[in-house]
Amino acid sequence: MKVKLKSWTAVATWRWVANDDNCGICRMAFDGCCPDCKLPGDDCPLVWGECSHCFHIHCIVKWLNSQQVNQLCPMCRQDWKFKE
Amino acid sequence: MLKQGQSQFEEKWPSMRPSVLKLLRQEPVTRSEWHDLFWAVHSVCLWDDKGPHKVYEALQYDILEFIKHAQTRVLQHHEDSALLKAYIAEWGKFFTQCDYLPKPFMQLETSLAAKTHTPMQKKPQGEESIVRKLMLDSWNHSIFSNIKQRLQDSAMKLVHAERNGEAFDSQLVIGVRESYVNLSSDVEDKLKIYRENFEKAYLEATKDFYKLKAPQYLQANGVQNYMRYADTKLKEEETRAQRYLETSWGCTSVSGLTECCVNVLVTAFKETILQECAQMIRNNETEKLRLMFNLMDRVPDGITPMLHDLEAHVVNQGLADMIAAADIITSDSEKYVEQLLELFNLFVYVLLQDSEKYVEQLLELFNRFSLLVHEAFNDDPRFLTARDKAYKNVVNDTSVFKLEIPIKNKGMGTKTQPESKCPELLANYCDMLLRKTPLSKKLTSEEVEKKLRDVLLVLKYVQNKDVFMRYHKAHLTRRLILDTSADNEKEENMVEWLREVGMPADYVNKLARMFQDIKVSEDLNSEFKDAHRNNNEYIADSINIKILNAGAWARSSDRLSVSLPMELEDYIPQVEDFYRQKHSGRKLQWHHLMSNGIITFNNDIGRFDVEVTTFQMTVLFAWNQRPKDKISYESLKLATELPDAELRRTLWSLVAFPKIKRQVLSCSGEVKAPKDITDGTQFWVNQEFALVKNGKVQKRGKINLIGRLQLSTEKSKEEDNEGIMQLRILRVQASGKKKLNLM
Repeated sequence: MKVKLKSWTAVATWRWVANDDNCGICRMAFDGCCPDCKLPGDDCPLVWGECSHCFHIHCIVKWLNSQQVNQLCPMCRQDWKFKE
Repeated sequence: MLKQGQSQFEEKWPSMRPSVLKLLRQEPVTRSEWHDLFWAVHSVCLWDDKGPHKVYEALQYDILEFIKHAQTRVLQHHEDSALLKAYIAEWGKFFTQCDYLPKPFMQLETSLAAKTHTPMQKKPQGEESIVRKLMLDSWNHSIFSNIKQRLQDSAMKLVHAERNGEAFDSQLVIGVRESYVNLSSDVEDKLKIYRENFEKAYLEATKDFYKLKAPQYLQANGVQNYMRYADTKLKEEETRAQRYLETSWGCTSVSGLTECCVNVLVTAFKETILQECAQMIRNNETEKLRLMFNLMDRVPDGITPMLHDLEAHVVNQGLADMIAAADIITSDSEKYVEQLLELFNLFVYVLLQDSEKYVEQLLELFNRFSLLVHEAFNDDPRFLTARDKAYKNVVNDTSVFKLEIPIKNKGMGTKTQPESKCPELLANYCDMLLRKTPLSKKLTSEEVEKKLRDVLLVLKYVQNKDVFMRYHKAHLTRRLILDTSADNEKEENMVEWLREVGMPADYVNKLARMFQDIKVSEDLNSEFKDAHRNNNEYIADSINIKILNAGAWARSSDRLSVSLPMELEDYIPQVEDFYRQKHSGRKLQWHHLMSNGIITFNNDIGRFDVEVTTFQMTVLFAWNQRPKDKISYESLKLATELPDAELRRTLWSLVAFPKIKRQVLSCSGEVKAPKDITDGTQFWVNQEFALVKNGKVQKRGKINLIGRLQLSTEKSKEEDNEGIMQLRILRVQASGKKKLNLM
């Protein structure tokens, strides 16, 4: 007798990998979503800056739009540039 | 030029008088006589200054003369009924003439009116003509006021006789009423005299009649016949009232009479009649109930006791039926509970048949009560509400089917409230309809839809909708993960239907989210396969991935550690690499509790495809290196690294899967339940394993061993329960606050 694998359905869930637990802007957990969204996941993604700080995309965009002159990272005050 | 005096009253009257007298006596008048009268009145009134007055007086004299004769004719009769007859004959004639005689005297009216009013002023509408009034007043003074009491009495006697079934000329009564209505001298309220005499007498006569008759009838014929009697009599009296009482606009005689009849016929016996109600509902005597409803609907507060009776009946009957059916249902549920305690949930078919019977029973009840309300109470909204209220009680009753929600008691020994098992059974039934099952395969798409709608109907009455949603979600998760939905379109429709019947929105949204997620995951799966198609045939064909959103699906406690067999472990990094390339900043967490697959199982008898969970797979792969060995529970624990409870449950499903003749594994010792397995229990592969169909051993075949193995753990269920309890507490607090705010 030998058992052979014919097919397999592997189930996994995904989570964000961030240096922090919370978004520095809205203070909500990265596992959750920004205050404007209802459900976490693909619809409320995270983004990283070159300074390696990470925020909900909705939060950082809102922040950047509110800045008149220089667009700085709200955490380290360096110029904000999206990673990649 | 007209000769002076030609149109003087004295000259004209002698030629007018015969026509007037003929008219009064109702004798034929020729066309020319009729015309001449008009002309004569006209000229006298215009040419003779004093003419109008003289005409009036002459007319009055003649009318009085005529009435005097009539009076003698009428009063000849001493006996009341003969008097009435004679009176009505005279009155009938006279009353008709009241319409004709005034016509030629139109000019007189104008002339007389001109004396008192300004010429231009128009006669107010509805005011009676002077001549007509003269006629009626004279009649009233000379005849009617003298004998009205006698007339009225004999009229009432006639009505009484009619009630006893004797026929007579109804004109006699009508005539008396007309006399009353028309002979009123009270200008302000013309009906006053009629109301105070005739109407009052009529109502009293009616009341006295039924006060005597009704109890006699009730005594002799019983309540049920009495109701029919009362109903008929009410209708009869209403028709009679239409005939004999004044019905002109603004006159309330008929409604007054009806009210009086209702009082004496129904209200007086309200209690006695209502006593029968419960019995009738029990016996489903819809016709009689409808009759009772019609009667009681007229009585203030008459319906209320009936509503109570209906409610009580629905609850009692509903529970009685459920208890009777519980013989079938609970005997199985007990087994189900036992199994649950043993961490296994294997009596799948028994349980499923339960929920089907249960839901059918509930629906049958609902339909029966609805039919009763429809047939007996005409779908009256008050009765529909009573039905709903009571049905809610039945559905949420905890005496027959209890569901204890176990939560970890922290510190204080808080007792868990028993809940109706209804939501759980409903959810199980939905699962049967939506999953590929013998039931869903047997039914057409329309039938499935109808049954789902039925469930939604019952669901409306369920109090703990969140419990239903919890079970429904668990079932849906299984169906989506195992790809066992019978019909994807119906699955998604169901979510919308749940929204329509007002299930909690956050739950429904989560369900919708799961469907979205599954689609995303399917796309990802095909990308994964495409990526591996060229370099690795095997992985592209046989490995599927379901990468889901943690927020919509998973709970941290659902993750269990397991040491995967090499055969599976190898694929994990490949999937992870693939995913990292697709999405940076994301990390995968494996949920082997939910993953599953198909293995090919070879032995001396044949070759079988077996659908298993990953845990079952892990256990079975343990024998690959030493196929004939016996392996102890302890060794298996070491090899698989599965938690104790999970390993027991997994092994149990391999040694005692329900409804199969030959099991995959065998074990040593007396093992009757998962808890009987000890560290020393030995397990080995059953070399005789085969599929048996109709008593014949098959050499090839496919079997599913996943069954009811839960895709969630005991711990996560407990968390769910706590969540539900908290939700409920919040809701109670919120409603409390609302009440406070209102105050």
